[in-house]
Amino acid sequence: MHRLLSFASLYSPMSTNGNVIDVHDVHKTFKKRIKALQGVDLQVGAGEIFGLLGPNGAGKSTLVKILMTVVRPDRISGTFLGNSVGSKQPLARVGYLPEHHNFPGYLTGLQVIEFSGAMCRLTKRERRTNARRLLDRVGMTRWGSSRLNSYSKGMLQRVGLAQALVNDPKVVLLDEPTDGVDPVGRREIRDLLLELRDEGHTIFLNSHLLSELEMVCDRVAIMVQGRVSMQGTIEELTRDSRRHEVRCIGPCPDWITALPDATAECLEDECRISIPTDDVEAIQPIIDRLRKEGRSITRVHAVRESPEDLFMRAVVDESGTIAAPGAEIKPRRGSGGDAP
Amino acid sequence: MSQTIALLIDAYRLLNARKIFWITLVLSLLVVSSFALVGIHDHGISIAWWDLEIPELNTGSGGWSKELFYKIMFTELGIKIWLAWVATILGLITTASIFPEFVTAGSIDIILSKPIGRFRLFFTKYLTGLLFVILQVSVFTGASFIVIGIRGGVWEPGIFIAIPLVVLFFSYLFSVCAVLGVITRSTIASLLLTILFWFIIFIVQSAERSLLFFEMMNEQRVMAYEDAVDRTRQRLDKVEDPDDMERWGFLHETLDKRKAILEESESTAGNLDTWHDGLMFVMTVLPKTGETIELLQRWTIDLAELPGSTDEPSRPIIDDDDHFRLDEDRLGQDMQTALRNRSPWWILGTSFIFELVVLCFGAWRFNRRDF
Ligand SMILES: Nc1ncnc2c1ncn2[C@@H]1O[C@H](COP(=O)(O)OP(=O)(O)OP(=O)(O)O)[C@@H](O)[C@H]1O
Ligand SMILES: [Mg+2]
Repeated sequence: MHRLLSFASLYSPMSTNGNVIDVHDVHKTFKKRIKALQGVDLQVGAGEIFGLLGPNGAGKSTLVKILMTVVRPDRISGTFLGNSVGSKQPLARVGYLPEHHNFPGYLTGLQVIEFSGAMCRLTKRERRTNARRLLDRVGMTRWGSSRLNSYSKGMLQRVGLAQALVNDPKVVLLDEPTDGVDPVGRREIRDLLLELRDEGHTIFLNSHLLSELEMVCDRVAIMVQGRVSMQGTIEELTRDSRRHEVRCIGPCPDWITALPDATAECLEDECRISIPTDDVEAIQPIIDRLRKEGRSITRVHAVRESPEDLFMRAVVDESGTIAAPGAEIKPRRGSGGDAP
Repeated sequence: MSQTIALLIDAYRLLNARKIFWITLVLSLLVVSSFALVGIHDHGISIAWWDLEIPELNTGSGGWSKELFYKIMFTELGIKIWLAWVATILGLITTASIFPEFVTAGSIDIILSKPIGRFRLFFTKYLTGLLFVILQVSVFTGASFIVIGIRGGVWEPGIFIAIPLVVLFFSYLFSVCAVLGVITRSTIASLLLTILFWFIIFIVQSAERSLLFFEMMNEQRVMAYEDAVDRTRQRLDKVEDPDDMERWGFLHETLDKRKAILEESESTAGNLDTWHDGLMFVMTVLPKTGETIELLQRWTIDLAELPGSTDEPSRPIIDDDDHFRLDEDRLGQDMQTALRNRSPWWILGTSFIFELVVLCFGAWRFNRRDF
């Protein structure tokens, strides 16, 4: 039994449910006023590309910094690579690219990557070979021995990405990795991320670029004002909003309103009927009936919510107001116009 | 270990990228080579091709030895003026940015996300920051060793004690600079505040020296007036009829006057003593920059070696016109002795405790804060 246990712990360094990151109830308030995180729950499975979305100031970077022990949470429970968050131990197997990173300009690209490797306790040889290989991988071979102060923003981003990968990390946390990178570079980075996932790395991505996230992420979470408001695959998150649309010539048929949840809308000389279902079979009777009435059907198609719509839906609350950028700020005592 | 080495290499690269580091190094070598251009002979000194006749400073009647001449040049000009003053300011300018740059957003994130504890990171970074002064003072002392050896004819390994002493001296200031850098995150602010702090130490030290000087001068005064009172008393004792006021009234007057001055001087001594004790307490708490550097001279040059220091101590006197005549030679020697008698443990130990307290405070702040 004992042997079995140690065997198991050798082969599953992650928590039992296979999550690499599994945190609950994360709270962080800056300067006693700025509530950056207010009870975040987040699970990232091993081997997936996970995207964290959210408006400016939602607390995405803060969450990543908490995982990387750069910021201390007020409260947190859960694990990161099987260790409690805040412990330095798992960090040897983690790669991190902060947003607005700032490497010393007097270093060369190779030196930055090797320094990062040394800090992760790699041997000299490992650092050397990894650094060269990674420079090649991010397309910066020619620039390896030039100083960083001669790099462009996108080049810095590439080197930053390479230094995050030098220790062959299990998990890579990237805070806006495509910031400042040209479209070709973005595509390269996207492909790199997919390759990395296929090699078994878990990738945690912070980004505003919805279309980009949609292309690579297996799962996403949307964070608004310090809380995760949605979490799942894009497929799951958009499932409820999927519908079919049928367009036909002529005025709107009055029997439509009798159907559950279906709506009809009159356009110039057309009628647009929308049925909230993703089942093709379910709309066939409607088409039949329209045809029987002798109407011409101009279009039938399945509508899926775009990530942008999804995002907007997450950001707008029940009362219909859009969440303001930034964290919730507790008003200072004594200030504010509505004091009694 | 690989982490420590990486941080050390990083510190070296940082210095290497700074022009001012190399400028300081070149200036250091220039200072040493200018020492080599200065020579001493039996009627004066020579600077390159010029001979200067100086009656007090030669190997003949002046009583100097070549060895002493070069050693004094090394400790007084090389260390005290160049390294502990000019090069230190250059050093602070070079290194003041280390911690503010270390904790800037975007660069601290990377290093904190590595598997290394914050305390260790802070202290390692601090120690690697001392690399500047270690390299500078080693090169300077090594070159001086060669110059003293070739020109002075003595190979004096004792001067290498300058390396730990100057490094220690610099580390007092650098600890303050580093902690201010972590707190303010600003190079200019931490540099200016450190120099201000250094200036305050300098003021306290100078004030303490001045008080010590006044104290010793007053001691001589007390001594002189004690002698004078004794002399007057003896004179009164010798006369047949000391109570004859008409004849000996002036003696009584003189005696009273001298007694009054003696009493006044004694109470001044008490006052000076209290003040001096107060300042000494402040000194104990602060790092002792000046005294740390002076340990070098103390350990490499024997007072008896100095020309003119073998005179018998004389006594200060009150002359017949009732003027107090200070014995300056004695005052100088007493000061030297008093300063040299201060325990190195006190000088280094209390300074080191100061440094440690400052660093622990900085490490605590560094450990606690969010970046
Ligand atoms: N060191 C700090 N001190 C004070 N407030 C902070 C600090 N870091 C972050 N905040 C605040 O916390 C909130 C969340 O910031 P965070 O950087 O996590 O947002 P974000 O989601 O990454 O935004 P963006 O998309 O613009 O990068 C913001 O309101 C910000 O003002
Ligand atoms: Mg951010």
